[in-house]
Amino acid sequence: MTRPTSLEQTSPPGTVPAGRAATTAESLHRPRISRTAVTMILLAAPCVVLLLLINAYPLVVAASQSVRDGTLIVTGDFVGLGNYADVLTSPRFWSAARFTLIFTIGGVFGSWLVGLGLALLLRTKIPGRTAFKVLLMLPWVVPIVVSSTAWNWLVGTPTSPIPTLVAQLGLGEVHFLADPTLAAVTVCVFKVWVSFPFMMLMTSAALAAVDTTVYEAAGIDGASRRQQFVHITLPLISRTTYISWILMTIFCVNDFPTIYLLTGGGPVDATSSLVVLAYRTVFQDLQTGPGVAIAFLMTLVLVIVSTALYRQIRKVDIA
Amino acid sequence: MNRGKVTRRGFLGLAGAAIAAPALAACNVSGNSGGSKAGDASGELKFWDMPWGAPQYNVLGKKIVDGYTPAQGFGKASYQIIQWNGFYQTFSSAIASKTGPAVSSGAGFQAFQFAEQGQIAYADNFIEALKKDGTYDDFLPGVIDTMKTDKGYVAVPWQTDVRPFWYNKALLDQAGAKVPTTWDELLTAGQALKKIGVSGFATGSGTGNSFGVQAMVAMMINNGGGLFDADGKPDCVTDANIQAMEFVKQLANEGIIDKGAVSYTVENLDGQWNTKKAAIGIHTPGLADRAAKVADDLLVAAPLKSPSGTAAGLFYVNNLMMYTNTPSQEASEAFLKYYLGQLHTYWENPVGMAVPVLKSITTADYYTKDPNQVAIVEKWIPVCKTFAATGTQSFAALAAVDGGQALVQFTQTMLQGKTDPKAALTTLQRGLEGVVRR
Repeated sequence: MTRPTSLEQTSPPGTVPAGRAATTAESLHRPRISRTAVTMILLAAPCVVLLLLINAYPLVVAASQSVRDGTLIVTGDFVGLGNYADVLTSPRFWSAARFTLIFTIGGVFGSWLVGLGLALLLRTKIPGRTAFKVLLMLPWVVPIVVSSTAWNWLVGTPTSPIPTLVAQLGLGEVHFLADPTLAAVTVCVFKVWVSFPFMMLMTSAALAAVDTTVYEAAGIDGASRRQQFVHITLPLISRTTYISWILMTIFCVNDFPTIYLLTGGGPVDATSSLVVLAYRTVFQDLQTGPGVAIAFLMTLVLVIVSTALYRQIRKVDIA
Repeated sequence: MNRGKVTRRGFLGLAGAAIAAPALAACNVSGNSGGSKAGDASGELKFWDMPWGAPQYNVLGKKIVDGYTPAQGFGKASYQIIQWNGFYQTFSSAIASKTGPAVSSGAGFQAFQFAEQGQIAYADNFIEALKKDGTYDDFLPGVIDTMKTDKGYVAVPWQTDVRPFWYNKALLDQAGAKVPTTWDELLTAGQALKKIGVSGFATGSGTGNSFGVQAMVAMMINNGGGLFDADGKPDCVTDANIQAMEFVKQLANEGIIDKGAVSYTVENLDGQWNTKKAAIGIHTPGLADRAAKVADDLLVAAPLKSPSGTAAGLFYVNNLMMYTNTPSQEASEAFLKYYLGQLHTYWENPVGMAVPVLKSITTADYYTKDPNQVAIVEKWIPVCKTFAATGTQSFAALAAVDGGQALVQFTQTMLQGKTDPKAALTTLQRGLEGVVRR
């Protein structure tokens, strides 16, 4: 038995009432929304309304806050683009933008390189491979609060294990989180450590989809391992690579806990990213307008970068 | 129509109603603190409290609130713990949605902040009542006045969070140093301690650690300076402040302040005290509890005499505030009166509290058995000033100043010991002007 596809089809053929015949005939010539479509729209409406309430409403409120000088409670007066102008002329904003860029580049490519290396390594048949996979996933699985506490314990004070080891190697007293340059490096390394399992997982999945006969053919043709990697592996996993780069870029730009829990954005703003700056501006300086303006500018940049990377994926698809 | 069958239209209607019902119910939530109709004094009164001490503190707090027997016509009180992490967001969103507390404890300048936004019920009548029944005289001198603004008293003090100098006597003895009473002596002691690998000015300014900020402000206040002038305007670049920061820079450059201090969290700093890497430093009244491994060696020093001849310190006056969103102001005041009467419980059953503001507690046997707490009450509180120094009144913007980016960055700059103090103070001045202006 076939199911009716629309309400019109539920009436048996030839049973259209005489009075409605003309209307039905007209409707054949006039495009109109079917009752099925109306039903579907009505069924979808609650979800759409809910999504709008969850996503669009906060966005609109935030946009309104970014052009006002209010607080979290009081709306405040309209100041136009004053907050944006203040933010864009603030050295602190550009310092945070610079660190965000470093952190993102370091985080994306650092974690990708480590993830790719480990994914390739895990393709080889070694004993305990599954156990290794599980262990390597731990940095991604462990809550960031726990791992940041662990890292702070590892590097926080001169008597922590790593500074002690460094001192015993004769490299002197090193303050990993107190020196601005070292703190920036430590935060980036921490991000790579947290993120490489994700990259490893993505790359492993892409590598699993590569037909091994391609390598056999290339081997017969005399391609070296390096040539196989550069000319076969990388192009074949490029789609996944671009997707993982987009995702990791978004993760890095929006990453608050990794930085804030380890350094709080210090010392002297050396590790303050845009998202940390936005948070501190809103919740420490209690300046809602400028803080939200930073978040909006950040989103704008993120959209541009993501779009550029997405176009790259389309190019790969076309190729 | 076929009875018993649900048509598509009917189904849609039901679904719509099902979605709308909770939404309408949510919209219908009373704006009243107790969830009952505004102005109904018999509604439940919400009391929000922070984790002020050990976990046992909140257990005790709940017990006190549960023990409240309201007078005829007033509702009972409920107890809610609000974590420090994100407390401002919690309070702000609750107040904005009219679901906040009627009475609460909170951050030192929270009452000033919310008063500016019209959310605080001024305590003038309550304080008048305290004067009449004699409770007012039980407060330590001057503490109630720290709550005063041009519009009235924004809250009622219940404890003071002093920042005294502590020292580890055993480490000082080991270094052959004497307990400092002046800045010069602090420097000499620090140099001696440095030789045995111990910090003579322990502090930290890492994530969530405000001891560094407080140490900087305390040193300015100690030297007769402060962040503001008498009118409450930022006034950082003063001779007293420059001299204080020159001294801090010297401490940093001579290694008396640990090179890593700039990134030390509270836990890192506690660890330094516990592992005997810290011998002198500005900390909370509860340091001996936090550094339990060396508690027996820890003593409170007297306020140092500064080069300008002053000997002042920094304190926060923690307070209990009443909100306009309440079942009734009388109900809030009745509860607050009851709660003040129960404060002694927190010190009778030590739960890691700061210093009480009531003389009846500071002079009680259970309190005076700890000489460090007595020293804080007798030597420090009389000379302590608030973050508003050299101004006399606190104000809302202090909430953004204390722990704000400008002061944190300034502190971290000073702890690195590289920047000229006058230049750093000038940057701080600009930063504070930006915050206070808004």
